[in-house]
Amino acid sequence: MYILGISCFYHDSSACLIKDGKVVAAALEERFSRKKHDFSFPQEAIKFCLEQAGVTIKDVGYIGFYEKPFLKFERVLSQHLEMFPKSFKNFLHYLPSWLNEKLRFIKIIRKKLKYKGDVIFIEHHLAHAASTFLISPFEKAAILTIDGVGEWTTTAYGLGCVNDIHLIKEIRFPHSLGLLYSTITAYLGFSVNNSEYKVMGLSAFGNTDKNTNLYYNKLKKVIDIKEDGSFCFDMSYFIYHYADKMPSKKLCELLGGPIVKKGERLAKRHEDIAAALQIITEEVVLKILNHIYKITKCENIVLAGGVGLNSVCNGKILKNTSFKRIWIQPDAGDGGTSMGAAFYIYNTILKKERNFILNHNFWGPEYSDDYVKKFLNFNKVKYLEFKDKKELIEKTAKLILEKNIIGWFQGRMEWGPRALGARSILANPCYAEMKDILNLKVKHREKFRPFAPVVLAEKAKDWFDCDNPLPDPTDFMLMVYPIKEDKKKFIPTVVHVDGSGRLQSVKREQNPLYYDLIREFENLTGIPILVNTSFNIRGEPIVCTPYDAYRCMMGTEIDYLVMNKFLIRRSDNYQDIWDSEKYAKD
Amino acid sequence: MKILSQKTENDLKLFFSGFKNGFLDFNKLIANIVNSILLSIAYFIGVGLTSFFARISNKHFLNNTRLQKNNTYWSDLNLKTRDIKEYYRQF
Repeated sequence: MYILGISCFYHDSSACLIKDGKVVAAALEERFSRKKHDFSFPQEAIKFCLEQAGVTIKDVGYIGFYEKPFLKFERVLSQHLEMFPKSFKNFLHYLPSWLNEKLRFIKIIRKKLKYKGDVIFIEHHLAHAASTFLISPFEKAAILTIDGVGEWTTTAYGLGCVNDIHLIKEIRFPHSLGLLYSTITAYLGFSVNNSEYKVMGLSAFGNTDKNTNLYYNKLKKVIDIKEDGSFCFDMSYFIYHYADKMPSKKLCELLGGPIVKKGERLAKRHEDIAAALQIITEEVVLKILNHIYKITKCENIVLAGGVGLNSVCNGKILKNTSFKRIWIQPDAGDGGTSMGAAFYIYNTILKKERNFILNHNFWGPEYSDDYVKKFLNFNKVKYLEFKDKKELIEKTAKLILEKNIIGWFQGRMEWGPRALGARSILANPCYAEMKDILNLKVKHREKFRPFAPVVLAEKAKDWFDCDNPLPDPTDFMLMVYPIKEDKKKFIPTVVHVDGSGRLQSVKREQNPLYYDLIREFENLTGIPILVNTSFNIRGEPIVCTPYDAYRCMMGTEIDYLVMNKFLIRRSDNYQDIWDSEKYAKD
Repeated sequence: MKILSQKTENDLKLFFSGFKNGFLDFNKLIANIVNSILLSIAYFIGVGLTSFFARISNKHFLNNTRLQKNNTYWSDLNLKTRDIKEYYRQF
């Protein structure tokens, strides 16, 4: 039985196809449409999923949608009724999209997919909960979902047991930890629903001591936190419940200045604000988790929702709570809910036995050697062809050692927001200047943002002060841990200002080629670590096709592209060089 | 398969595609004007009147006041597995 999960119309549209309770294919729409955080109906992602399975829409038994649209519309109308007449502008701007698509989901899928079967609607936080519990390694686990907002719920907790999920308590809109994070993100001049991770990176530069961070006490006026982690806002500091912007004038006054303008240089004050926000986020999450443990007495915890991508907070969970094991959906944000909707139908509604654990993340499209070769020849690209995988690994490791920046395009594309070794940029972590080289030549991003290390799983504990045993979410780059003091000097590129690293651990069974490359680099240097950053032009989604990868290399200053068994040197293909930075967005 | 170099479109094709795009933009403009008028009426009469009567009867649609006396802000959700019919509904 095939079940298709869909999420769309808010941000990060996605589709996931499962067959008899196992993932066949899953992808974000943005990778195909090339619009970052694309929220439109995921036509291309669905098309890919069906093609990957070799089926048509007629073979799909159920379609699951990641929320109850009418409940969400009730909340939107309630906002307008409560905030009349301040919400007039928002009403004019957003109501047409509700009337034209969000409330017409069934009509849209009948028309666009020619689908005649059953459509199931699952509450947003239930879809989040299912997206993490039902594919986790746990038979029983406490569940926490935290995001911006679903229908009404912004935070929920409960218990998962075999096939069943019971969400017990909730915190309702407008009180939302995700929206607080987004509000400060907006205040700091970054884009909402996109750049929250930048604020997380920035926070390490600020004062992380809550006793001396002035802004911690200021932000505590905004949010009242109870001992059980539940929280409530003073809504006079926000305008997101009726306007396009998020912080109110009162919040700007509290934080000592206006909203940061785009391109404006960030001051120490802004770093402290980011740090205060991160402290509060961790305080709330850890208090909630301790409360959940008291209620459920379960030693396993699973997380989902956008706040579940806060890897700095995630890395502190096992040390600061009574939970012993943790699992997090790799696409913890809204993109992941299509997977949750599909599994909820199969395992919970249809009561079919759970038979799948998500132990790797490569569910996107793949391109054959033949396809890549045709692409290169058709476009008259100069390239070398490796004899075998051994030569590919040896040559690539040597190029990395020689400080070259490598575009790494291999196998099926990743599911979720992180590049994990299928569409990655790889570099040598041993040189302090590599951070600047990467920023100068390729990524053109804010200097405060760290680069992530990828490490052989069995070597992680030698290099990082991580939990033991190493939690599975490290495979998906979801945990930040301190780097061991005596190792920092060997890998300066990936050491963040606070001495931490957002590591990705790799097991050979997950991605043999990627693993062997890091192993080969270790043979050359004694260091089982590479720099891994997402393979994209700034402001664009991660590359998907050979065309995207080649275009990205030629528009940035990536030195080599290793695409399947082909090696392409940028400087050999002058005719296709262009400057992506002119077109780069936030 | 995508190619890197795009063929130059001929002038006639460009003219017709521009003509078509112009009409589509005009169509959007008219739709936006009509939508704005209708939605403004709906907002001030529908939302406005309901909001007015709600205020005089002290009815609130959002819980945006802080109750410091509470020990907790958690509220009951109790979302469990239900009959499949419940999931066909969009509410």
